[in-house]
Amino acid sequence: MSAWDTIKTAFFGGLTFLFFFVIWIYNPFVHHTEYEVPSQMEEIINDPKAAVEGRELFKTMCASCHSVRYDGMYLMSVASKPEFKKILDSFGTLIRIDEKTKEKVMFLPRDVYEAIAMNDLLMLKSSFGKIPPDLSTMYLSRGEGYLYNFILKPQEVLPGTSMPAVMTGQEENTAKIVAYLKSVSEPSKGEKVKRTIMGILVIGYFIAMGFLLWIWRKKLLANMGYGH
Amino acid sequence: MLGKIVDWIDERAKVRDLYQTQMVDYKVPKNLTFPYVFGVLALITFAIQVISGIILLMYYKPIIAHAFDSANYTIMKEIPFAWLFRHMHAAGANFFLAVVYLHMFTGIYYTAYKKPRELTWIVGWVIFFVLLLTALSGYLLPWGQLSYWGMVVTTEIPTSLKDAPVLKGLFGAIGETVSIWMKGGFTLGDIALGRFFGLHVLFLPLTLMALLGIHLYLVRAAGISNPDGVEIDKKKEGVPFHPYMTLKEGAFAMGYLALFFYFVFFNMHHFLPADNFEPADPLKTPPHIAPEWYLLAFYEIFRSIPSKFWGFIAFNLALVFLLILPFLDFSPVKSARKRPLFFAMFVVLVISTMALTILGLMPPTPTNAKLGLFFAAGFFLFFLSLPVISFLEWGWYKAKGGQE
Ligand code: HEC
Ligand code: HEM
Repeated sequence: MSAWDTIKTAFFGGLTFLFFFVIWIYNPFVHHTEYEVPSQMEEIINDPKAAVEGRELFKTMCASCHSVRYDGMYLMSVASKPEFKKILDSFGTLIRIDEKTKEKVMFLPRDVYEAIAMNDLLMLKSSFGKIPPDLSTMYLSRGEGYLYNFILKPQEVLPGTSMPAVMTGQEENTAKIVAYLKSVSEPSKGEKVKRTIMGILVIGYFIAMGFLLWIWRKKLLANMGYGH
Repeated sequence: MLGKIVDWIDERAKVRDLYQTQMVDYKVPKNLTFPYVFGVLALITFAIQVISGIILLMYYKPIIAHAFDSANYTIMKEIPFAWLFRHMHAAGANFFLAVVYLHMFTGIYYTAYKKPRELTWIVGWVIFFVLLLTALSGYLLPWGQLSYWGMVVTTEIPTSLKDAPVLKGLFGAIGETVSIWMKGGFTLGDIALGRFFGLHVLFLPLTLMALLGIHLYLVRAAGISNPDGVEIDKKKEGVPFHPYMTLKEGAFAMGYLALFFYFVFFNMHHFLPADNFEPADPLKTPPHIAPEWYLLAFYEIFRSIPSKFWGFIAFNLALVFLLILPFLDFSPVKSARKRPLFFAMFVVLVISTMALTILGLMPPTPTNAKLGLFFAAGFFLFFLSLPVISFLEWGWYKAKGGQE
C-alpha cells in the first residue's frame, strides 16, 4: 500500500468509527441528565435481599396507587375484591410461586386487569388528575438515579407532579423500593452471569472461526499457487 | 455415504455443474478491497433478521392492549432465551441499515453504479427504500412511547404539503388524505398496528427477499466491479470466487458477527432505547422525539429548511438523487481512485451526511438550523457537481485519446 492509500484508509475508517461511536455508544452533543445516588444507597439498590424487603414496602407504601403487573402486584383495592382471585385463575398466567407465602404470583393481561380495576383507576384519576402509571418497566425507562431521587422528592425531580411525597426522609426504604423495581426489570444475578458467559463464548467462537478460516485460506491458496 | 447421496442428487439436479460454474469458474478481480465485504454482511444480517423475527413472531401480539406486554413481559421475561432474539432483532435492524449505508457509500466511491451496473444500483436503491419501510414499521410494533410518537411524526410529514406556495387547497387535501390513509384513521390505533404488523412480518420481508435475488443475479450478470475502475478480462486476470473470495469474506463475516454479538450481549441501550420502555400514551407527548439514526440525515434536511413544503420536497429530492445517481454521473472514468474531483466531492458527501445525522439529534436552535442548511447544501452539492465533473472528465478523456 502506498502512503496515500494508508491515509485514505485511515481517514475513512477513522471517520466511520467515530460516527458510529457517537450515534451508538456515547453522544457528547446531546444533554444527559445525571441523578446522584449516595454510594450506600447504591449498595442497597443492588442487593437482592433488599429487593424482597422492597416488595413488602411497596405493598404498604405504593400499592394504593400503583400496580407492578409484571410482578403480579395489583392495586390494593382491586386485589381485595372478592372476584379477583377467580379472575386471576381464569385469565392469569403464572409468574412464579412466592418463596415465603407459597402463593402463586400471577400475570394478568392488561385489558382484563383494567376492566376490573376501572372504577378504582378512575377514582385515582379524579383525585390526582391522571392515573398513576403501572411501574413494571419504570426502572428501564427512567433508570435507578431518577427513580431514587423522584420517589424521595417527587417535586424536585418533576416539578408540578401530582405524585405525593410519601417517602420523605426514608432514604433506606426508598432504596429498597428501587431495588424491588430493579429486580422486576433486570435478570437475576445468576441469570446475568449465565448471559455474560454465553456472550463471551459466542464472541470467542466467532473470533476463533475467523482466524481459522484465514489460516486455512492461506494454506489453500499457497497450494494453488496464488501467493497471498 | 455422503458422496453417494450427492451423486444421486447430482444425477438429477446437476448440482456439481452449478457449483463449478457459479463458485469456481466465476472469476473476480484479485484486488478487491475490504469495503466489498459489506454486501455479504448485509445478506448475513438479513438472515439474522428473518430467523430472529420468526421467533419473535411466535410470541408477539399485534393488538394495542397486548403489544407492549408481549414484547416486554412475554418475550423479555417469560419465555427462556426470547430476550436473546429480541436483542438480535433490534440490534440487527440497526446493523442492517449501517451495513447497507456502508455498502452504498462503497458503491459510490468506486462508482460501481456506472454502466453496465445501473440496474444493480437501482434495484439496490429499492432494497434500501423497502428496508427503511421495514424498519419503520417494525419500530411501531412494541407500542412504546417512541414507537407511537415516532409514527405520529412520520404520518404527519405528508401534511407539510399544505404549505405549498400555490394550489394550497389541493396540496393540503392530498397531504391530509395520504396522512389519514397511512394511519388508517384520524388516530393511530389497532388498525394501524395491524397493518404495519402485516407489512413488517410478511409483505416487506418477502419483497426484500425477491429484490435481493434480483440484485444478486444482476451482480453476477455484470461481474463485480474493480476498485481501479478498469474492467478486467475475467478469463485471464480473475481469481476463482471460491476459495479466494469466499474464505476471505467468510473470515471478515466472523469478525462482523463477533462485533454484532458484543452489542447483543453487552451494549443494547441504544438499540432498545429507555424511552421506549414506557407504554405508548396518546395524551403524553414526550419532550424529545427524533427518528431513528438511519433517518436523521433526511429528517435534518426536512427540518432545517424553514418552509415545510420545501423541506418536504428537499428530502424527497435527496432520495431521488440517490436513485438517479447513475445518470447524473456520465463520466467515462470509473472509481474515485482515478477521479480527483469526484474524490473531493465524495469527501464532502460523507462529511455532510454524518454531520446531518448528528445534528438531527440536537435541539433545533437557530445555530443548528443554520448548520443543518449548510450541510444539506453540501449533500446536494455532491449530486449537482456530478454532471459538471463528468463534463470535465469527458474533455480530459478525449484529450488523452480516449474513445467513445
Ligand atoms: C397517593 C397516590 C400515590 C402514591 C401512594 C404513590 N404514587 Fe407514585 N405517582 C402517583 C401519581 C398520581 C403519579 C403521576 C405523576 C405525574 O405523572 O405527574 C405517580 C408517578 C410515579 C412515578 C412515575 C414518575 C414519572 O417520571 O413519570 C413513579 C416512578 C412513582 N410514582 C413511584 C411511586 C412509588 C415507588 C411509590 C411508593 C413509595 C409511589 N409512587 C406512591 C401517585 C402516587
Ligand atoms: C428485513 C429486515 C427487518 C428489519 C430491518 C426489522 C426491523 C425491526 C425493528 C426495528 C423492530 C423493533 C425492535 C424492538 O424495539 O423490539 C422489529 C420488531 C419486530 N420484527 Fe422485525 N425487522 C426485519 C425483519 C423481520 C422479519 C423477517 C420478521 C418475521 C418474519 C420480523 C418480525 C418482527 C416482530 C414480530 C417484531 C416485534 C417484536 C419486538 O418488538 O420485539 N421482522 N423489527
